[in-house]
Amino acid sequence: MKSFSLLYVIPAIVVIGLFLVVPLARDIEISFFDWNLISPDRKYVGLGNYVAILGDPAFLATLVQSALYVALALAGNVALPLLLATLTLRAGRREADAYQTLIFLPTVIPVSVGALLFLWLYLPYGGPFSRVLALFHIASPNWFTDPHWALPAVSSVAIWKFFGFNYLILLAGLKAIPSSYLEAAEIDGAAGWLRFQRIILPLVMPTLLFTFVTTILQALDHAFVPIQMLTVGGPSGASSNLFYAIYQDAFQNFQAGSASALAVVYLALFGGFAIWQFRMLERNTLYDA
Amino acid sequence: MMLSRAILIAAIVALILPLLYMFGTALTPETSIFEHALIPIPPNPTLENFSIAAKTMNYPNMLLVSIIYAGGVTLGQLLIAVLAAYAFGCRRFRGDSWLFAALLATIPIPFVVTYVPNYLLMAKTHLLNTYAGLILPQVASAYGIFLLRQHFRAFPSSILEAAGIDGASSWRILWRIVVPANLPVIFALGVYIFVNTWNQFIWPMIAMSDPSMHTLTVGVQDLVAGEGGNHWGALMAGATLATLPTLIVFLFARKQILNTLMEGAVKG
Repeated sequence: MKSFSLLYVIPAIVVIGLFLVVPLARDIEISFFDWNLISPDRKYVGLGNYVAILGDPAFLATLVQSALYVALALAGNVALPLLLATLTLRAGRREADAYQTLIFLPTVIPVSVGALLFLWLYLPYGGPFSRVLALFHIASPNWFTDPHWALPAVSSVAIWKFFGFNYLILLAGLKAIPSSYLEAAEIDGAAGWLRFQRIILPLVMPTLLFTFVTTILQALDHAFVPIQMLTVGGPSGASSNLFYAIYQDAFQNFQAGSASALAVVYLALFGGFAIWQFRMLERNTLYDA
Repeated sequence: MMLSRAILIAAIVALILPLLYMFGTALTPETSIFEHALIPIPPNPTLENFSIAAKTMNYPNMLLVSIIYAGGVTLGQLLIAVLAAYAFGCRRFRGDSWLFAALLATIPIPFVVTYVPNYLLMAKTHLLNTYAGLILPQVASAYGIFLLRQHFRAFPSSILEAAGIDGASSWRILWRIVVPANLPVIFALGVYIFVNTWNQFIWPMIAMSDPSMHTLTVGVQDLVAGEGGNHWGALMAGATLATLPTLIVFLFARKQILNTLMEGAVKG
């Protein structure tokens, strides 16, 4: 009877093993080869791919840009949603319901559609945003082809699209704070920033940390489609990131080995955050629930 | 209170305005696109852009591919999640907590390290440009197991034991008692997976290179003509058509999706 239980888990183990765990190992293996994805023979090059990556000045630029994407995502998809969720907490029930639905709405839009939408909104000549800037006598830059603006412009599309999810998670964390705590603070005269800093922030900290870590892990992924559709990483790589560089290496340069080595580098850089996320999931499910 | 409401409304305007522009531009005749660039609602709306977009994209075909893709992944993920969550949530077996932790550990594995090997596997097994090749790798997710287990655990074990004493097999207990009792959560999880899968781009793009096998989210690219030369009305109409299905699903199941996500967040 008891041994049957394992049977229920086997489909999950097979599928997850085959398409998540085995590829992880395969990636490490491929990273030691010089291989074009297609040809039957591949050449073992040891750490050659890694040496080539670390010696490439473009790699450093990609790393710096990846850090920028993460920083912008933390500001736009963690700090700002936290502010809005805190403000929503004070609204009445029906009002809060409306806020939730409207703020979550862009999250259900396909990210490729979002990217197209912003291609029009940010059109330098005649697009809606350039018209608004013209009202203030500001000339619109070429958002997606200007080397300074391409990255923040692409990032803004990703932030718009993924804003609602963290807002919802943070709001859930805030709602779990017993209202008696907040009322007690009110009676003690703690209001505004003091109330937020002393009472709300410490109590919402586990949820905040969770969104912080998941946002770091997803920031490069979230920017991928806007990059692909709006700038293709350009101008001259200025809006690329590690995630997109892997795709280009594999599917445009047909360098499977180098792409896999980049993926392993990504894993080394972000693996710590992945383990942190796992620990949080584990703590919540195995011991608390 | 006034200030906080003002900040919230300003943020909502910034989030929703792009969508209003999408609908508005889609309804604007091509000749007056730039005249009304600032007003999202055109004075003389037309549906012409939608028929152009539908034709350029081969909309019915892409719609079908998207539905099969999102539907297939949703059913697959739900099936493995229901089965595994039942074993982890309602039953005890040797090594269960160890195995559950191992599955949980796959949740943070980033897509970026799996898609090149998965692409190679699909190429080797000749599954590129087939539904099996498109769907199978995306079924691999432990998130559903994690979410459903929380709910299955909360199910009173006395009911399960009573059913067991009455001679019901564990398979029957799952489908006749546990699943029906947790239907709202399974439904919400399903809608969430469906919307997420529908919106995916990278995997459908590389796994389905054949244009007749493009999903809507990949196919909207066909409407982009290049810098400046775009037919903006048709482009926004295509964007609207690609969005409409998930938007409708969301508006119908709004309460369940939002509540399930929020509940999952608080519990784990």
